[in-house]
Amino acid sequence: MRHAAFATIAAVLAAPAGADTADGAALLAQDWEAVVDQARGGEVNFYLWGGAETSNGYVDWIGERLAADYDITLNRVPLTDTTEAVNIVLAEQQAGQDESGAVDLVWINGENFRTLRQGDLLWCGYTEALPNGAYVDWEAPAIANDFGVPIEGCEVPWSRVQFAFAHDSARTPQPPRSIPALIDWVEANPGRFTYPAPPDFTGEAFVRHVFYHAAGGPEALMGPFDQEVFDEVAPKAWEILNAMEPDLWREGATYPTSITQLQGMVANSEVDLYFTYDPAEVGAAAANGTFPETMRSYGLTGGTLANTNYVAVPYNSPHKAAALVTLNMLLSPEAQLEKAQPQVWGAAPAIEVERLEPAMQEAFAETPRPAQVVAPEDQGPQLPELQPAWIEAIAEGWIDNVGTR
Amino acid sequence: MRALPPALLLAPALVVLAVLFGGGLVLTLAGSLGGWAPALAQARLPGAVLFSLWIAGASTALALALGCAAALLIRAGGRGTGLARALCQLVLTVPHAVGAVGLLYLVSQSGLLARGAAALGLIGGPADFPALTQDPLGLGIILHYTWKEAPFVALFALAALQGRGPGLEEAARSLGASPLRSFWHVTLPLLRPALLRAGAIAFAFAFGAWEVPQLLGGSRLLALPLLVWQRFTAADLAARPEALALAALTALISAGVAALLLRAAR
Repeated sequence: MRHAAFATIAAVLAAPAGADTADGAALLAQDWEAVVDQARGGEVNFYLWGGAETSNGYVDWIGERLAADYDITLNRVPLTDTTEAVNIVLAEQQAGQDESGAVDLVWINGENFRTLRQGDLLWCGYTEALPNGAYVDWEAPAIANDFGVPIEGCEVPWSRVQFAFAHDSARTPQPPRSIPALIDWVEANPGRFTYPAPPDFTGEAFVRHVFYHAAGGPEALMGPFDQEVFDEVAPKAWEILNAMEPDLWREGATYPTSITQLQGMVANSEVDLYFTYDPAEVGAAAANGTFPETMRSYGLTGGTLANTNYVAVPYNSPHKAAALVTLNMLLSPEAQLEKAQPQVWGAAPAIEVERLEPAMQEAFAETPRPAQVVAPEDQGPQLPELQPAWIEAIAEGWIDNVGTR
Repeated sequence: MRALPPALLLAPALVVLAVLFGGGLVLTLAGSLGGWAPALAQARLPGAVLFSLWIAGASTALALALGCAAALLIRAGGRGTGLARALCQLVLTVPHAVGAVGLLYLVSQSGLLARGAAALGLIGGPADFPALTQDPLGLGIILHYTWKEAPFVALFALAALQGRGPGLEEAARSLGASPLRSFWHVTLPLLRPALLRAGAIAFAFAFGAWEVPQLLGGSRLLALPLLVWQRFTAADLAARPEALALAALTALISAGVAALLLRAAR
């Protein structure tokens, strides 16, 4: 025991001084070979939402690749809410830890990215240094803007997703395929539907679909937050959701507090409809036995929300070289192909497949899709996401006018 | 070895307490500046305070009653008392989050009892099982804290009873007091300081802890620590001072109640 302790201390002391690569500007002044050299033998702390076995398993696979190819140790730090990582970086900045932060990489998008940008808490300008960045279409609006906020070289796209609903085709053969149809369905099937209470991420996204419906489409809500438009649309949305409440699970007396809880309730036949920002998850849940084989995900005729998610590096990451090598690996065709495999994660690639070699393009084209996962072409139109100020106003409005009414 | 003065022996513990606890307190108070007005204006605050007082108060009262009874049974001796004492110690080592998840598997509507009852045809389906978790009264939370704190109270009470022997109670009984009268007028007053102290600790924990209401609570009424957590993790940075003010308020209320109980224990 004591020997082990000494060995650990010795190993820590013997770690090369060059492993500290907090100075991002100095790093970017060198070529890629030099960056990789400094990353070798180091470690990288990857903070990400840990609520799905698929994404966790995939990141562990990335960790094995990093260890094998670069001798880099990847520590996966699971979060229940990405804001926890934002808070860590913020607290470190307040404490003056500008070169020794705990977070090297964070899986992020939307309001958390906005918050980190606002606080000037992200490292930027490295995306062109990544060799595999050549596969990314940085100019595409869906990549260049994260929930309406320009990314400006401060994060790297990882996956693209589109929101989908899901039902058990054996139990509920005819699920509602639009928001108005859902409203009628809930009334006709009391107690068989509910949604996670905001501030749950997926619950908020569901409420936004109802909000879009109340606004007659997303067009009026695009751009910066507009109080007048909000005040006009919000009462209609709250009226719809409040009218729905008596017909929800437990008569709306309480809501599930997380999407994971809703998944368990659907699996246990307590309610009939599930929804997710990542339809591949439905296939993975059927494969591991959580959901029945007969579970099917589907889009809405009026379309569902779509977004890109990213990985970012905080300004105070002490392992920026290892972070860059990790980001480069995340963007590699091999890693994106692995991520697209249904038994791994089934997440849509963030790179442009037509930019790859023919053999790779073929491999992507041959990626199987489980029966539970809706085909992208059947998913209906992609609805744009709102700017963070809108999203926050809608979530708080729900809590005040529906959740605690 | 010569005996060191008590102040020197206490110094390491005091330093840790001053730096970690005092430092945290100072940082919280400093960070809460400007957050008190929005915190006190927070529409969900009164509900959260009342809900937390309810779950902490109810679970502490139940734990005191059960723990006191368990201590008296163990002291009375007889078969199984060694096992009972070991069980009390075992429960103390179970982390709260683990206990709460276990309770979820057992008594929630997706849980073992609900599925078992449905499989046996006692109820129509798992959803017909009474709602003991995510329920408006926080019954699941109270059940969890009672289960966790009763053995703690029992061990506290046993320590107080130790060395006293049953002499005073036997005297009362031999002078004609009924068992109930002897318990009420002799045993309970003996135990009162220990019970109040154990109660203060149990209450402060149940009032301030976050993980159990997070796992077992519903969405409509948030326990105070959960409200703090929601404001602290709001993506809007402006909500942080409010969250810290709410955290300070949580500490203030639980310290106030604990002080009252400890004062009564003297």
